[in-house]
Amino acid sequence: MPHSSLLAKAARPMYWLMLTAAVWILLRGHNEPGGGFIGGLLAVAASSMLAIIVGVRTARRYQPLPPMSLATAGVGLALLSGIVGMATGHPYLSPMWGPIGLSTVLIFDLGVFCTVWGTLSGYIYALLGDEEANS
Amino acid sequence: MSHTGPVPSNDGSPSYLWLTILPLTLFVLLLWGFSQYPLPWSFELGWVDSLGVSLAFRVDGLAAQMLVLIIGIGTLVFVYADGYLAHEPGKGWLFAVLLSFMLAMIGAVTADNLILLFMFWELTSLTSFLLVGFKHQDLHARAAARQALLVTMGGGLALLGGMLLLGQMAGTWSVTAIIAAVPTLIPDPRLPYALMLVLIGAFTKSAQFPFHFWLPNAMSAPTPVSAYLHSATMVKLGIYLLARLDAGFNHVVIWEAALIGIGTLTALWAAILTLRERDLKRILAYSTVAALGTLTLLIGLPSPRAGLAVAAFLFAHALYKAPLFMVAGNIDHATGTRSIDHLMGLRRSMPWTAAAAVLASLSMAGLPLSFGFVAKGAISAAKAEAELLAAVSYTTVLVNAVAVAVAGVAAIRVFWGPPETPRGRVHEVPWRMLLPPLLIVLLGIEFEFLPNFADPLLFQAARAISPGLGAVELGNFFDFSPVVSLTAITATIGLLVFLSWDRLHRMLHSWHWLDRFGPAVLYERLLHGLPRLAAWQTQGLQHGRLGGYLRLILAALLLMEGWIWWHSGASPVLDWRWPPHAWAWVIACLLMGAGAVAAIFLRQRLAVLMASGLVGYGSAVLFLFAGAPDLAFTQFVVETVLVVVAASVLPLYLHDAVVSVKPRVTDIGLAVAAGVGTFLLLSHLNTLPADTTLSDWFLRHSLPEAHGRNVVNVIIVDFRSLDTLGEIAVLAFSLLAALPLLAGLKRRTTP
Repeated sequence: MPHSSLLAKAARPMYWLMLTAAVWILLRGHNEPGGGFIGGLLAVAASSMLAIIVGVRTARRYQPLPPMSLATAGVGLALLSGIVGMATGHPYLSPMWGPIGLSTVLIFDLGVFCTVWGTLSGYIYALLGDEEANS
Repeated sequence: MSHTGPVPSNDGSPSYLWLTILPLTLFVLLLWGFSQYPLPWSFELGWVDSLGVSLAFRVDGLAAQMLVLIIGIGTLVFVYADGYLAHEPGKGWLFAVLLSFMLAMIGAVTADNLILLFMFWELTSLTSFLLVGFKHQDLHARAAARQALLVTMGGGLALLGGMLLLGQMAGTWSVTAIIAAVPTLIPDPRLPYALMLVLIGAFTKSAQFPFHFWLPNAMSAPTPVSAYLHSATMVKLGIYLLARLDAGFNHVVIWEAALIGIGTLTALWAAILTLRERDLKRILAYSTVAALGTLTLLIGLPSPRAGLAVAAFLFAHALYKAPLFMVAGNIDHATGTRSIDHLMGLRRSMPWTAAAAVLASLSMAGLPLSFGFVAKGAISAAKAEAELLAAVSYTTVLVNAVAVAVAGVAAIRVFWGPPETPRGRVHEVPWRMLLPPLLIVLLGIEFEFLPNFADPLLFQAARAISPGLGAVELGNFFDFSPVVSLTAITATIGLLVFLSWDRLHRMLHSWHWLDRFGPAVLYERLLHGLPRLAAWQTQGLQHGRLGGYLRLILAALLLMEGWIWWHSGASPVLDWRWPPHAWAWVIACLLMGAGAVAAIFLRQRLAVLMASGLVGYGSAVLFLFAGAPDLAFTQFVVETVLVVVAASVLPLYLHDAVVSVKPRVTDIGLAVAAGVGTFLLLSHLNTLPADTTLSDWFLRHSLPEAHGRNVVNVIIVDFRSLDTLGEIAVLAFSLLAALPLLAGLKRRTTP
């Protein structure tokens, strides 16, 4: 597919910009519109842009983990965040709050973010014809 | 009597004889327990307290008797199996499943909690499936295993329903408490349904008519399995449950009638079918079905002495049928056939097997000097006490006569007479296959002569079944003279049946209608009808045409809307008020309308995609001004990613860029009707009062309890985080499932 060189040059900075926005949306989600789900979707938008313009291989390299592993890690994070409360005698998934607004809720939301990002980018890479879709 | 460690036999498959130490230890412990602690023993451990389900176990007389059979015969079956399967590579697997089966049986007969009992009950069905299908390379073995599983598990489902009903009516899951509470349950209108369901469960397990057909087919299992599961233990589990509940329901009319009626029918039907068989193992299987029918009938008898008859016959049957199966296995092992047409005069080459066969057959025929004789006596005493229909009495005489004839076939016909033309040299089987049947039959004889050991066990069991039974002794429990004359009558008829076996067989075999009708044929029809039904409904509903799906969904929507209007009798109300930011709503609606209309008329695929994207953006604008910024945000991102990705992906899979489908008038009509219907319904719903309890609660508690002003996100990650956890897990799993499919799609479109 022919692309303009301007777009190809701008793709990587744009990716980081969008990813920053995604993380910001994730973090502010507790009080303003946002959260892990929307943030994850925005990250998917960033990854799919990179995959379409530069290539699936690059988009994959710019993710912290391969898609399936990212999704699994997300579910794992969410699962683990619930155990913290149990250690202090609360029921599973009870929210625990630490200093400067850090909380198990945030870890849970990060899990949602990673699951959405990993799963949907995995779908998109597979549709775009990724050779190593199963890794 | 055991080695310590796998000893390789001549062809390298290891011996598992050492495994016998497990059931043997259990058996010794059990006997020691009997001598030290009086029954009943009970033991309870909490499990799911909130549901009233606990690990409650109770061993009373009936359970103790079953335990003796399960563990005692199990020990010997282990020895036998090691000899029988000496050259079988998959022996370890068989032993593993046999052991699991034994544990499941022990659990089932000792569980004092309905749910626990059901769990073990299903485990026995499952392990039975694995054991029947042991020779899984064989098509018939697979079919038989599937049949056993479907019939017993289907019955298990009914049993679960019945148990749940019983538990709800009695307000407890404890079996003991439910039996004690029976008088209060009698007036409950749900009781007949509960009893019917429980009966279906027990009847499938114990192979009662019309579910009997799985048992003879299960004979494709290896002989140790047939001897253990399908004669001595598992099929008795249904009998056990009936006997257990009979202590409470003995005087409920439908319970009694069902037990006596079905029991008699099963016994008669199986006795007739026995005569149609030539395969020794299948003959024994049908006579087992007949014995199970007799047991069901005996449980149904209202007299207190019936308990003793059940206990005695249960014991006697296990003690003669398991050895007879082992004898059939030995013959098969030595000669390579089980057809009684080819077996004669084996006495000389297999003297020990012949001895076991004769002793077991004595008991089966109920002749004096055997434990079967004692059981016969108990049975006729129970029958004399109860007033029975003449038809039932005649039937039992006939069934007993056939049992005598089967005993004759197994002991005399096969072993006596001139030896058959030599088909290779027939050798006696190794000791591991001789000791178990001989030991079991000798125990049976021993019980007859030394009643001190067996009697206490039998009486405890009998009292658990019939609490009304007084203190009696087995020896002087009945008057000998009628029993002796009755035995003489059955033996004479049995002898006649035995002598005319071949003639009867030819006659019954020519009754071809027996092959065309009956429950077994119905089962086959159902089994073959199921894939056809599935194929038919798949073609109708899962045809893979997107337009068809949409039509179906819209038509169903329209039907439901019509039904609501018709059912509620309300007339459409239009309550029109302009919302705040009405101008934005109008713009949003214009966007969506324009997108939809464009999507109908545009022909280029990419253009249609863009037009549908416009509908999505329009709805995002609508959400933005309707107080759902989160939703609007999500919608914008989803729509963007979808359109961009679809635009990049579509050309890879579809090679023509133009949509070829023309809109049809009927489709347009359906779409418009569904749209208008939904609009009217929603506008009507808007005029109804809404329940805002939940949303108010979330709004009030979001900030003080979860420290978040964004209520939507607080609900997602805090209040309902378990739901979210489930959702993201499903999301991740969907990728796992989709990746191979997508890879396949890619291969198909790019040659």
